[in-house]
Amino acid sequence: MKKLIYIALLSVPLVTMGQTLDRTKAPAPAKAPVIQVANPVQFTLPNGLKVFVVKNTKLPRVTATLALDIDGFAEGDIAGVADMSGQLMKRGTATKSKAVLDEAVEFLGGNLSTSSQSASASSLKSNFPKLFELMAEVVLHPAFNSDELEKVRKQSLSGLESSKDDANAISGNVLKKLVYGATHPFGEMTTSATVKKVTVSDVKTFYAKYWKPNIGFLVFVGDIEPATAKLLAEKNFGSWQKGEAVAQNFPKPAVLNKPIVAIVDRPASVQSVVAIASTVEIGPGSPNVIPGSVMNNILGGGFSGRLFANLREKHGFTYGAYSSLNPNRQIGFFQAGASVRNEKTDSSIQELLSEINIIRNEKVGDTELSRMKNYLAGGFARSLENPATIANFALNVARYKLPADYYQNYLTNLAAVNSTKVQEVAKLILNPSQMYIVVVGNAKQIAKGLEKYGTVKYYDIEGNETAAPQEPKVTINFTPQALMDKVVQGYGGKEAIEKIKDLELKGTASLMGQNLDVAQTRVLPGNATMTMSMGGMVMSKQALVNGNYSVAQQGQEAPITPEVKESLEESTFIVPEMMYLQKGYQLKIVGAEKVEGKDAIDVEITTPSGKVSHRFYDAITYLLLKTSVTQEVPGRGSVTQQQFYKSYKNMEGLNVASEQVLDLGQIKLNINFTSIKLNQGLKATDLK
Amino acid sequence: MQKRMLVALGFLFSVSGLVAQSHTIQYEKYTLPNGLKVILHEDHSAPVVAVTALYHVGSKNEDTARTGFAHFFEHLLFEGSDNIKRGEFDKYITNAGGALNANTSQDRTFYYELLPSNQLELGLWLESERMMHAKIEQIGVNTQREVVKEEKRERMDNRPYGSFLTEMLRRSFKVHPYRWAPIGSMDHLNAAKLEEFINFYKTFYVPNNCVLSIAGDFKVAELKQKIEAYFGPIAKGTKPIPRPTIQEPALGGEVRDIIYDNIQLSGVFQAYRAPKQGGDEYYAFNVLSTILSGGESSRMTKTIVDKKQQAAFAGSQPFFNEDAGLFITLALANMGVAPATLEQSIDSVVNDLKTNLVGEREFQKVKNQITTDLVASNGTMAGIAESLANYEVYFGDANLINTELEKYNKVTREDVLKVAQKYLNKENRVVLYYLPKEKTATK
Repeated sequence: MKKLIYIALLSVPLVTMGQTLDRTKAPAPAKAPVIQVANPVQFTLPNGLKVFVVKNTKLPRVTATLALDIDGFAEGDIAGVADMSGQLMKRGTATKSKAVLDEAVEFLGGNLSTSSQSASASSLKSNFPKLFELMAEVVLHPAFNSDELEKVRKQSLSGLESSKDDANAISGNVLKKLVYGATHPFGEMTTSATVKKVTVSDVKTFYAKYWKPNIGFLVFVGDIEPATAKLLAEKNFGSWQKGEAVAQNFPKPAVLNKPIVAIVDRPASVQSVVAIASTVEIGPGSPNVIPGSVMNNILGGGFSGRLFANLREKHGFTYGAYSSLNPNRQIGFFQAGASVRNEKTDSSIQELLSEINIIRNEKVGDTELSRMKNYLAGGFARSLENPATIANFALNVARYKLPADYYQNYLTNLAAVNSTKVQEVAKLILNPSQMYIVVVGNAKQIAKGLEKYGTVKYYDIEGNETAAPQEPKVTINFTPQALMDKVVQGYGGKEAIEKIKDLELKGTASLMGQNLDVAQTRVLPGNATMTMSMGGMVMSKQALVNGNYSVAQQGQEAPITPEVKESLEESTFIVPEMMYLQKGYQLKIVGAEKVEGKDAIDVEITTPSGKVSHRFYDAITYLLLKTSVTQEVPGRGSVTQQQFYKSYKNMEGLNVASEQVLDLGQIKLNINFTSIKLNQGLKATDLK
Repeated sequence: MQKRMLVALGFLFSVSGLVAQSHTIQYEKYTLPNGLKVILHEDHSAPVVAVTALYHVGSKNEDTARTGFAHFFEHLLFEGSDNIKRGEFDKYITNAGGALNANTSQDRTFYYELLPSNQLELGLWLESERMMHAKIEQIGVNTQREVVKEEKRERMDNRPYGSFLTEMLRRSFKVHPYRWAPIGSMDHLNAAKLEEFINFYKTFYVPNNCVLSIAGDFKVAELKQKIEAYFGPIAKGTKPIPRPTIQEPALGGEVRDIIYDNIQLSGVFQAYRAPKQGGDEYYAFNVLSTILSGGESSRMTKTIVDKKQQAAFAGSQPFFNEDAGLFITLALANMGVAPATLEQSIDSVVNDLKTNLVGEREFQKVKNQITTDLVASNGTMAGIAESLANYEVYFGDANLINTELEKYNKVTREDVLKVAQKYLNKENRVVLYYLPKEKTATK
């Protein structure tokens, strides 16, 4: 065995201390350290498991990692099974429950983790043999217990649920599905539906199919002799039976010849998530990897990249703009993007494409190039502090069949990158005509004009192509008064409405899994209360009872402004449309819009105190479908809150929405009224 | 979602409980005539170096009408110096392939640069420029004030549970400056005049209030000469350095409150008043904390998260400082679990520590975990440099990096029972419920 890492420091010329230091400029760097990355000890067990040992005695601890040589999984309609089986693996073995196993690992002061294609254990040297035995037990005899599967499923589902509201997550999912294709292992999407389908038997099948020693790499890093590691590997993994590895021949993703602008409509968005991406033929070890990394970092690698300088510093479209380039032996991936203000979506795409074209068409400057090379060289040197880096190098060399001195020569090859090469690689990697431009945002506000970048298509949040949000076909040829009359008719008519003396709605809402109790009560004329509580604790209450106004939010009384008074008064009406024009509200029919697939008439309403909101009425039934109000929030721009009214039920001639959805962008509150009571004979004094 | 939450929680604690240890760390320590303490650890195992400067000034040294100053200086001192143009400080490091940052606690401010070893001198130049003649100008003050406001918005106002430390501290302490968090008051920063910033700089950012701790790939003899050249000419501070002497009286009864925040899951946070760092009780508390939340088999995780499935996360955190400490427990409720139910579960786990002696095997397990953690904290040059500086400043003994394990080994099961009984009592704690803020609906 050679020395693991041998770092020869050339003698550094000393600053002569007698002379005065020139403080006015930065000191020049000393000569770069010569870095030698020698190979770790390697051997292969009879069952095909390849073992690497990187001895490093700096600290008395050892880490072992078992990684399977798998590029991706074809999971189909049970997508998620790979991740779930990875999590399940360390939740119990054939002879140890989760609790027993956790205690055993931690008694050794150890850590043990597993994933869909790896397992890792680390502890102090003294406890390592025992911990390694537990790691082998987990890998070779996992229990795949059904109760534990349900716990894992619960976590997955709640994670997926919250990512439905996350524009970045939507962008990432749709992008991968489009760029790689829905059936490509890199493009498959895990959804609630697929996660719900996963059974214990699926997990076992997955495990049996992929976990084979002959596609495994076992890497020891730390204070351990290679001979000891060999004994441990043989003793614990020697009995593991080899098997046939699953072929990793993935279909080649289709290449576009004209860009596609893929819009995912998200009406609540105040920012568009823009991502421009394509696959790239670049695998580990390709001569283009190092120049490609230089090129990508100049273009969009962090705060010093061109995208950041342009979209953030120069134009202020965004908080950050970046690009990334990931070589992969199946197929590589390039992406550039940013989250930008709605009204700057078009301009941002313009600037992103413009920077991509500039780095293709013009040579980078010498200063910019040498700075980036210094940056990458420094990062490489610093990464060597972690012994796991050396192990990863060895793993990559073996896995991707790189030359043995690949990392040894990394700095030399980095130094050799010149501006001609950067441009050459940019032309090879960045092909604007083959890119998908994925935009997750408010289609109505941002879609116009995007057709100049490519063929515009629309997708849902799971990446299925949908029809473009349709322009409603509604003829509006009546006055506000006439519309209000129709609305009143839609609710059941003036006569039916006027018969109602009290109305009480009670129900529950779920706010990201928290259960809230919601109650709305009106006693006519002029009294109303609305409360939301959780576990008996009142979280908010608004009331107008016998002329007394009160609003308590988050445990504190809010001041009663004229606007608040107005809104409380409005809430005492069963159908406020009956009073708008009488009470001096300004109504303006602005146009038509689709609300959840229905054609709706958009009415702008200005209250006597000047507050503006919109109400959307069904163009056929004239029932209220949605209200919406946009407010300026200091520091966050304009924020739109929407409330949807659904599932109307006819109660004694009155149509009442039994479901309300409050959409605040990131937060959605679904209120279901399970009890709706009319004319119970309530008095104002009954309202608390 | 869960992962993100845990990351977010990690940010809440800028000072971690367990500190460094391993097999012997050699170092050399000396003081320059201007009072600058220097600690050097030579290690050639990788071509890297960590240059760090710890100033013994934190939010507790601030004037009650000027809170947030120390943290503000964490930003301001990146603005430049007589020889470093505005905004170029970090560019020098980035262009050298290095990384840099700083952080501020209630007790100290810590600046560091991580560099390839051939760029060590660059680190010396930047740190000595910062100490010798940093630029304290109106334009820089104005710029950084906006940055700090943005940081507050991002890290406290917009981050779930981000206000927790501030809210907890102001209820836990009534008179000691620990009652405010390092972020301080934006109003105070707005009101401060340039002279006040200059005065603060001249008082605290002086060689005699600093430890320069450097670890990595260098030769000590050569480095000492360079340090002398860069830092020797910096004048010693002449102003007295204010340190609070005020004693915080007992809490005198349980304090409970509700905070409404932009969160999805309710949270229960409890803080017990606890002794200051460094004593026997401090070590017993760290052992106790590991019993409660060190790993999957710890009591809070096993009982509350896994068995009862009441919480997405449950844990504890010793928050011990120079003058006083807090012992914090926290949990984020799962969907549909009432905070009161969750609090009962936490209390029942905590109360068990007050009534029953920890079992021998469990106690051994926790000691094993602590030993592993202490070793791991010496895994990087940055970790070693910071630990050496911390131990020197807080305990006057950098060598604790080699001997602290003994202090943990001395802790007995009875010691854990004793601190639990003495401190983990209702009248000695603040309890905060974090509940989801209910947004105003359109009518």
